[in-house]
This record gives sequence, C-alpha cells and structure tokens, in this order.
Amino acid sequence: MRIKVMKFGGTSVATPEARLQSAMRVVSAREQGFSPVVVVSAIGRKGAPYATDTLLNLLKEIDPNVEPDPRELDLLIACGEILSSVIFAHTLKTLGHPAQAFRGGQAGIRTDGVYGNARIIGINPVSLFRSVEQGYIPVVCGFQGVAVMGDGAPGGELTTLGRGGSDTTGAAIGAAMRADAVEIFTDVDGIKTADPDYVKKAPTLRTVTYDEVAEMAHLGAKVVHPRAAEIAMHHDIPLWVKNTFSDEPGTEIVRREQFPGRRVTGVSHTGKLVYLQFDLAEASEAHRTTLETRIYELASQHNVNLYMLNISPSGTGFAVPRDQYPVVKDLLDGLVVPLDEGGRVVYLFQIGPASREVETQAKLLGPLGEIRRVRAALTEGTTMVSLIGHEYMQQAGLFHAVLKTLADNQVPVLQTSDSDFSLSVLVPESDAHRAVRALHDQFGLAEVV
Amino acid sequence: MATNPTTIGWGGETEFEKRRGVSAVEIRGGFAQAHVSHLEGDLVQARLEVLKAIGDKGISLDFLKLTPSGLSFLIKQSECDALEQVLTEVNAHHSIKPSRAIVLVHAVNIRDEEGMLAAIMHAAMSSSAKVDHISDMHDRLLMVVDAEDAERLRAKLEESGLGGSHAN
Repeated sequence: MRIKVMKFGGTSVATPEARLQSAMRVVSAREQGFSPVVVVSAIGRKGAPYATDTLLNLLKEIDPNVEPDPRELDLLIACGEILSSVIFAHTLKTLGHPAQAFRGGQAGIRTDGVYGNARIIGINPVSLFRSVEQGYIPVVCGFQGVAVMGDGAPGGELTTLGRGGSDTTGAAIGAAMRADAVEIFTDVDGIKTADPDYVKKAPTLRTVTYDEVAEMAHLGAKVVHPRAAEIAMHHDIPLWVKNTFSDEPGTEIVRREQFPGRRVTGVSHTGKLVYLQFDLAEASEAHRTTLETRIYELASQHNVNLYMLNISPSGTGFAVPRDQYPVVKDLLDGLVVPLDEGGRVVYLFQIGPASREVETQAKLLGPLGEIRRVRAALTEGTTMVSLIGHEYMQQAGLFHAVLKTLADNQVPVLQTSDSDFSLSVLVPESDAHRAVRALHDQFGLAEVV
Repeated sequence: MATNPTTIGWGGETEFEKRRGVSAVEIRGGFAQAHVSHLEGDLVQARLEVLKAIGDKGISLDFLKLTPSGLSFLIKQSECDALEQVLTEVNAHHSIKPSRAIVLVHAVNIRDEEGMLAAIMHAAMSSSAKVDHISDMHDRLLMVVDAEDAERLRAKLEESGLGGSHAN
C-alpha cells in the first residue's frame, strides 16, 4: 500500500472549479498506483462564507464585548473543515471515486487539552487504513483532533490545532500511516525566496531542507507551517509544496544530508512589533538587577510574549506584539519601585514621552526620597526581517554585510538576533519592503533555484 | 527524549509533536563576550567600521546585539587575542570577558508561548548568576554568564519548573 497524503489549502477548495482541479489531482495519484489520503482546510480564505474568520464573526456579531468560551469556539471553527471534507468527498464520488469524510477524532487524531492551540500527542490511523482497504479515499478534516482526558482515554472533546493546523494534520497523518509522500497543495508554485508581494520575481526553490523551511516558516514565510515541517523531519516523511493550479514541480523538502552546502535560502518578514529599550544607566548594580527582575516578572505574570531580547550594562530591551503593547504600557508606565541605597530611592518607570500622569506621580513621590526615572525608548510599528541560510550564518563579516546593505538603503536597524539558520533584524515596518528587497538583491537570491 | 517520536507500528499510536514548554537546558562553554561602547560620531557608521574590521580579520561572531552606544557579541574563547588586537587598532572602547558559558533554554515556538521568555528571564534575573548577554530564537533562549555560574543558573531554572524534561 503506497500512501500519499494530499493536503489542500483554503484556495484549493474555495470554489467548485478549484475543488474539481484538486480532486483531479487525487484521481491522478490514484491512477499512478498510490492510495491517496486527503486532508482539507476550510473552504476559502478570509471573507468566504465558511472560512474560519467568517464563523468567528458569527459570535462577534452577537456581542463583540463578550469573549467566547474556548471550548465552544473550537466546536464552531471546526465546522469549516467538516463542511469542506464532506463536500470534497462528494466531489470525488461524482468523479467515480468513492470517498469517506472523517473528522479529526474519527481519523484517530488525539491531542492535549489546550483548546485553540492543541498539540497532537498521538494518532491511531486504523479507521483510515480500513477506509483505504475498503476502496475509499479518506478525506480528513484538517486543523482538529480530540482531546485525551486525564485517564488517557479519548474524551470526545473536540480541539483545534491553532495556526497552520491543516498542514500539521497532513504531516502527522503522513507520519502515522508511513506515507510515501506528503504533498501540501496551495496557490503558489512552491516555497519562494521571498514574499512575492515584496519581491515580484522571487524564484521558487526546487529543494530546501526541513531545517531551512522550519526556520523560514517560523520567521514569516506562509507556505508551509513549521509544525508540519518538524513532524515530517522527525518521521523522515518526504514533503512537497505544490501549486494546485499549475504543473510546476513545486518544492521538495529533504533532510540536510540530502542537500548539503553553504547557501542563502531566502528572506522572510514577520510580526507587528513595538520595541522598548529601558535605560537603567542611573541604577546601581544591585538596583539594576531588582528592576530588571521586576520588568520580567510583570511580563511573565501577564503572559506577554517577548522578541529580540537584549541586555547590556546600560539597560535591557525587547519587542512585544503590537496587540500586547497596551498591557505592557499599563504594567510599566508609571510603575514605582522604592529601594534603599543609604537613603530612600524611588524608581519611576516612564514608557516613551512622560505622560501627565507620570509627571503628577513624580511630584507626589518627591517627599518619599530621590526620584530616578527608568525611561524606555519606544519605537512603535516595527517588524522582523530575516535572512535564512544553510551553513552560512557563522561566516566572518556576515553581520557587517547585512547591516551595511541596510544602511546603504536607508533602513534603520533597531536590534538583531541570530541562530544557526538565520539572522534577523528589527526594522521599522515602513522600511520592511526596502529591507527585504535589498537583502534579496545583495545575497543574489534572484538567481537561486 | 520527549521530542524524539517513536512509531509503535500498524494501527498503533505515534508520538508526534514536540511538547510545549522547556524541553532542555544546555550549557556550552568556551566563549568570550565582547562589549564595545562609547562609539562616537554617526553610531551606525561607527558600528559598521568595528564590524568590518572584525570581519576582515576573519573573526566569526555570534549573537550580535546593538546597544545604545555600541554593540555586544560572543566569540570563541580562542579568538580573544585577535579580537583584542582588532578593537585596539580601531580605537574602540571595549571590554572582553573570557570564560563565558552559554546557557541555552530549548522550547519549541518559545516566542509565541505566552509569557514563556519573560518567565525564563524572571527566573534568571532572580538567580545569583549575573546574565551578561541574552538572545532569543524561535526555539531557544540563550543567556551568557560566567562559566562558574552556569550550573547555578540551570539549577534556578529547574527550581522554577523551567528545567526541561531532559536537561543534560
């Protein structure tokens, strides 16, 4: 039995014509001797009648101020994939190929109990194997599973897998069924060297490693989700990204031993971030540690996500997602930390320019001791642009090449971060296009295939 | 190892995804930390001049961070003398701390797990180890400390429930 898992994204199942094209690809795989197992996303993207966002709006329309229960929310948004799987299975049936639709739980996908962002903990694919053996093409709902209860038995609680969940489903089923290949079908020709909206002529990569694609996906490339790449890597399942609507060969994702060599792979961008740099130069060494501890304690207690962390003798800094910035401002702007230093010292935090409230607070605190301001320089509207590469990031002179390229193109760099496979810079969002294009040109990515 | 899936066979169950949370805390030694400060004039150009001089000498640096008046980064301990020479030649105010260790905290999708980086930083700051340098990636946080403090920092992370399931 040669299993091929074929995952179709929203645009590939959006219209009857698109579904027919997708279904014909499944039929073609079957005619080539494969036993196809299909995974589908919800029909259409944002704005489409059964798309996830549309379903979410059904609740928001009732009262936007009341947060839906995560359990109920998962039940609602899973409907998009259920509809899609039934419609896709019926499309196959009309082409003379019997098919069976499966919810995630029916396909044996078990998850932890985190609604809205569950992780797969196991798959028992027995129902899918049975379906294939009986001559059907299984069509599985992406993005969903069933939570395991405390005693280890499936409890029937539907969960969704979070962002990129359908890719994750495809890769996980491929691994569980020991598939010959997992193919992720989308509306672009494969994985590009950059977002085509930013670099029109960004070429399609013919081959890329799991590590590179996971790094690209984590740093903003949207073609395949990093969880899917990681699952395929751990289980050694060949993974492809292909275009439903063209006959381009797509991108093959392989192990690093299969595609060795030093190279730059692409440039990605992600995030709507706000950057904060705290000036602690006025604090004594002992006080500094206390102040830094307090900053991170509050951020931790309020579940703030941090990016681009840094620490130096003059202070500490980080970026936060734009939607979390109001929380950070509430927590830290006007925060008072009284400490002793031979006498009373009162540290008063100030985010950006001093507000009237902070100035009033400073006056009120005056009698308590010496007031020292902890000012945080604030840069709103920033984003992360990353250069991805293989065996490339440890090259002497790379930081200079990247920062000089950006300086020559008048792109200010606020902070940097690097790993084995990437070098990221935090830049103003308004300069992100220019930064991506400049790095794409500088590192010769137009020629990459 | 929790992150290393195993297939149990036909019809069996497979452990698939890396579990959320800290999976491991790893210590790597043999580094030095350089801090260049008080750069004068156009800060962007001054940083570029320092980086060019370092690159021209073939010194590979890691985990570069921009600081308000300069930059901070790591090099291999064996390159301390070469770096000292370069920074002196370009007349850059600097300090190089040898015998640094990197404490790496591994956790899948660490930046997007709510409050996780902040929690690790809080634990680290609460320890008696002085953290000289930090950097984050999508799957790990790196903290640079004096080599003698590395184990103490790891112990503090473990005590805070952030030690991972298989710390080495």
